[in-house]
Amino acid sequence: MKRVLPAASLLVTAACLALLAGCGRPAADEETRHRFMAMGTLVDITIFGAPPATAEQAAREVEALFHALHQAWNPWGDGELGRLNEALARGQPAAPGEDLWQLLAEAAALSEASGGLFDPTLGPLVLLWGFASEEDRPAAPPPAEEIAARLSRRVALATLLKPDGRVAGPPGVQLDLGAFFKGVAVDRAIELLRARGIEHAIVNAGGDLRAIGQRGERPWRVGIRAARDPAGVAAAIEIAADEAVFTSGDYERHFEFEGRRYHHVLDPRNGYPSQGIASVTVLHRDAGRADAGATALMVAGPADWPAVAAALGLETVLVILEDGRAELTGAMQPRLRFTDEAQARAARVRNLP
Amino acid sequence: MSLVRPGDAVVVTLAALLVGASWAAFWGGGGPAEFAAVSAPGQPLQQLPLGTDAVLEVRGRLGASRLEVRDGRARFTDSPCVGRLCVHAGWLSRSGQVAACLPNGVVLEITGGEREFDAISF
Repeated sequence: MKRVLPAASLLVTAACLALLAGCGRPAADEETRHRFMAMGTLVDITIFGAPPATAEQAAREVEALFHALHQAWNPWGDGELGRLNEALARGQPAAPGEDLWQLLAEAAALSEASGGLFDPTLGPLVLLWGFASEEDRPAAPPPAEEIAARLSRRVALATLLKPDGRVAGPPGVQLDLGAFFKGVAVDRAIELLRARGIEHAIVNAGGDLRAIGQRGERPWRVGIRAARDPAGVAAAIEIAADEAVFTSGDYERHFEFEGRRYHHVLDPRNGYPSQGIASVTVLHRDAGRADAGATALMVAGPADWPAVAAALGLETVLVILEDGRAELTGAMQPRLRFTDEAQARAARVRNLP
Repeated sequence: MSLVRPGDAVVVTLAALLVGASWAAFWGGGGPAEFAAVSAPGQPLQQLPLGTDAVLEVRGRLGASRLEVRDGRARFTDSPCVGRLCVHAGWLSRSGQVAACLPNGVVLEITGGEREFDAISF
């Protein structure tokens, strides 16, 4: 038997492994990233496996789309929703275009299914608290009687949508669909990318995202932020097809007053920030539903979130309670990997009714 | 004649080590984050190495944002915005992490190495 010199075998082995390593690494130009500010947040578009020129062009179109949607849907601007709100403030009916009408109808259905916990007529209350704009930073909660007065002007969105295609209600009603329109914008961005032939992408609007396809040979990897550590990741999820991941948290917009934290997710039942849940993460194919759902479950609180999830058709949910314990649905359990062993052991699976 | 000679054992051992190293390179991430990339309106991207402690002042739309790089991490220490979400974001150290002062238009991102996540939901 003829033996090959050990050094030569070693070289051949090393060369083979080096080649193998080269095969597995996707080329850097297979991924295109584009970032912009829109809708009061940072939007990141990640596109994989498309020619860079095509990907960049499509990402710029998504940027233009976001700016156009923000203009149309800003409740306090001069676009379509802003004008509708001005008319409502004067007590006059208004006839929105077909697109906005459809969206209002969808939002009304989601609001009804959530038992009013997702409430698009909370606009005046959000303004009162000072959570309507990134520029605001409230110093103290508003007076209780003001909160009560604004709460009394709430009405179910469905009752404002008249059969003749007009929106009408008592003076002072204002619509703010922030907890739904971001999801719809993400859905439309994905539609636009697909229409440009892009099959693998993430549209991430300030930590709320939808992913399609995958990243080369592996699924997309999405981290879920730890509720009490801004730089920490509580869990990891893989997405290999088409799914939105929306998280609502009490750490986003908040202030502290006399030792208590006041955050931006308001409970329409009492007008104050919701209690008991630090964050909710919802996975669903429809980003608009995931967006409204994450808000509604946060408001529902620790006792009721499974019932509201079932009513909204949300099966894949992770809830982090204020005390740090995790609760999740049976469908979420196999999808999730906690980064903290102790949190993983203490996690409780809640069955949906 | 023995089938295995001392030289063969050396080759087998080294090959096994190489396979292990290759596996780690595939699945263990491509090394730690390297830079704090700071962008501001109308200015070129600044790349600060995370290995060198530094303090940086960047002029944005409203005024100056201050950032700090220390011990392989980076953060906003001050910004002229009202909400100061950027300062509350705290220290960033993992590749792909982002903090931003949107009113001032200043964005801090940790780059280099292999990203652990393609996106973070929050």
